[in-house]
Amino acid sequence: MERFDAVVIGGGVAGLGSAYTMAVNDLDVLLIERGGNIGEKSVYGGRIYSWVFEQYVKGFDNAPVERWVKKERLTFLDESESVSIEFSASRACSFTAILTKFNRWLSEKVEDAGGLVVSGVKVEDVKREPLRVVADGEEIGCDVVVDAEGVNPIIAMKLGIRKDWKPSEVAVGVKEVFKFSESQINERFLVESDEGLANLFIGYPVFGNGGGFLYTNKDTVSVGLVVRVDFAMKKKLEVYDLVEKFRSHRELASLLKGGSMIEYSAHLVPEAGIHGVPERLHDKNILIVGDTAGFVLNRGFTIRGVDLAFYSGVLAGESIKKALDEGEIALAGEIYQRSVEESVIMRELERFRKALKVLENTRLYEDYPKTIIGILRDVFEIKDESKKLYDSVMEKTKGKKLRMLMDVFSAFRGL
Amino acid sequence: MESIENRLGLVSFTVDSEPHIKPKSEKCETCSLKICLFICPARLYREEDGKVYFNHEGCLECGTCRIACPEDLDWEYPKGGYGVHYQFG
Repeated sequence: MERFDAVVIGGGVAGLGSAYTMAVNDLDVLLIERGGNIGEKSVYGGRIYSWVFEQYVKGFDNAPVERWVKKERLTFLDESESVSIEFSASRACSFTAILTKFNRWLSEKVEDAGGLVVSGVKVEDVKREPLRVVADGEEIGCDVVVDAEGVNPIIAMKLGIRKDWKPSEVAVGVKEVFKFSESQINERFLVESDEGLANLFIGYPVFGNGGGFLYTNKDTVSVGLVVRVDFAMKKKLEVYDLVEKFRSHRELASLLKGGSMIEYSAHLVPEAGIHGVPERLHDKNILIVGDTAGFVLNRGFTIRGVDLAFYSGVLAGESIKKALDEGEIALAGEIYQRSVEESVIMRELERFRKALKVLENTRLYEDYPKTIIGILRDVFEIKDESKKLYDSVMEKTKGKKLRMLMDVFSAFRGL
Repeated sequence: MESIENRLGLVSFTVDSEPHIKPKSEKCETCSLKICLFICPARLYREEDGKVYFNHEGCLECGTCRIACPEDLDWEYPKGGYGVHYQFG
């Protein structure tokens, strides 16, 4: 039987993070990916926070970055109009990227560091005592398994490490990618060639838990929608039509004019924050990382998953290395558990425990976009007599001022 | 406007002869919700004479049906190397 120090299930960003960390620490590591090529099963919105890659990946300067995000825009949509708030930053902390390409680049880093990456093979099972991974009819022995199978935790559930997601704990995201020329994007979004825009949308057409996104890549634009599964179930939303409605809105139509669609994709997103993270992140020497562990943070105007996924992989890799060095490999799971609990991952998830509750407030999606748009229409639409701002605000918020104030207060505290 | 069929035409797949997701016909027939019919982002579920059919050829492998189905849907990832090949994920 073939033997490795560790076998990693899944070549997404979390699995690659753990394999990379182990490979640079001279561990014998095998990563098994079910996709024919690394990266071709990975889907996300479009933006990565860079800190963890700058800190941990040698040669990050050569990463396939599309554009550094210097413009952050939040747009409220009703059926036909929109209001946007834009922040133009002097420095960037995140970049847009095609995750398929980014993961492929990471897998080259793993191989350069001496890790073995095998794609086109699906892990069927993990067996215990002794620990081994079953794939392609072969059994591969190892001291540790890192389960990075992603948001559908088929193996982790089978092993009893985590429960399945409830419909209220995940969202379905659909994404379309549009081809432009680089100069078209620069001109349309008023950015330089190495600078990009991240645009989140609240309101139409979901008007419920979820929203839209648009990210500018070098010569493509990623645009899509995320909607919580329980909400889509309750409202009987035809998910395949939602993105079509979204893209047909005046605001989106003008942003996407002249582009040609080159891909459509769909993926689930963990949305439960800290509530979606199981108490035990391991069963003995089987560790769960990334989406499998639920490490995604949604604050409404920012969503973080890729950096936390990679970092959880780094922590898993370091924990395994430490356990091996101490000659107590059986402690790898325990060390990982502790290091995640003490890390920025759990601190951030804990800090935004309340965010989920705030984001569940449907007034945020239904009433407020319409209220804001209505007030601004009154202010800017002049025919004969104009309305005073004060009168418009009073009229549009009639009977709900206290409610709105409390919502604003809880949004400030929670987000 | 791009219909879902046109959009799926942009995606590349290696199709297995065996489906990786199998609705349980006896349970689907009595299911009053049939959430799969509208929740699948690729619109791959269809109903005919009360029976639910799934076309695995255009599956985007998101798992939404697995989560939303009130019954115990027989759901697996495609075999290694099969299924969707995203280029801009």
